[in-house]
Amino acid sequence: MTQANITIEDIPVSTEGITAKIVRFQGQLDESNVDEKAKFIYEILEKNPKNLFLLFDFEELEYMNSKSIGYLTDWYGKITEGGGKITIAKTRSNILDILQVVGLTQLINCYTTIEEAKLALLQKPAEGEAAS
Amino acid sequence: MDTQQIPSNPAVPTEKPMEITITLPTNAYFVSGIRDFTLGLIRNMTEFSDQWAFRFQSVVDELCNNAIEYGSKPGDNIIITFINHPKDNIEIIVKDSGSGKVKITAEELTSIVKERTNPQYIHTGIRGRGLSKIVSEWTDELVFNNTGNGGIEARIKKYLKDPNLSQNTGNPLENPTHLVLNV
Repeated sequence: MTQANITIEDIPVSTEGITAKIVRFQGQLDESNVDEKAKFIYEILEKNPKNLFLLFDFEELEYMNSKSIGYLTDWYGKITEGGGKITIAKTRSNILDILQVVGLTQLINCYTTIEEAKLALLQKPAEGEAAS
Repeated sequence: MDTQQIPSNPAVPTEKPMEITITLPTNAYFVSGIRDFTLGLIRNMTEFSDQWAFRFQSVVDELCNNAIEYGSKPGDNIIITFINHPKDNIEIIVKDSGSGKVKITAEELTSIVKERTNPQYIHTGIRGRGLSKIVSEWTDELVFNNTGNGGIEARIKKYLKDPNLSQNTGNPLENPTHLVLNV
């Protein structure tokens, strides 16, 4: 199996009722491991169906295939339906290229630093805008 | 009688193409090695940029995964051929064994990919993006042929220079295969 690791850490938040986490991906997500690794995120989703805010740190993600894009799209749908949000940080240029060609950057914003991504993740939507 | 040497056309590459064929067992665990090989081959043996080396990594991965998952049964092999035409194009052919559970013809697959590359098409599932979103966008030619044993051969080609140069509007957003990212 190609090597891929996922580590998850809580992000302290001051707003009640919100769960925020930073999810760090390391290695390569491909057909040999992506189904197994995706379960980690679905477990978080199951425990936190509402108001879940996830920051994906892609700094050490070397490769992702189209099925992992499919999972990312599914997570985006479920999380935004539950009033939550996803941001992505520190993608390598080849990963950003993949996200752009499949159109995912039109759904999920990518940031160059963790701090920017965290800020955008926990920022309240402007008055009048629907919650993302 | 006067004889005259006909000068060679400088626009036509004269270097011989380099061809490499790899036979791979139908196991997803081996495809990471093919990705590494693709990256190294494109970087070291062609004039494509590093960005394109990574893109071909994705293209080959997607084609191999389809050949393994849909076109072949466990214990069989798929065949991957790289043909580098120096200074002109790279061609990659992935052939399944024809023993997969999913029986589909090249014509049917072509139709599916065409439907999914339609900008109006909405992808809803986990799967189905590899050929239409990645392979189609990052190649100039994508052709499926039926093999003699009931399988499919997927053939892609990417030119070093844009083959649609005359149609190039100059707007990078309208020519996604040649968008250069500065990240």
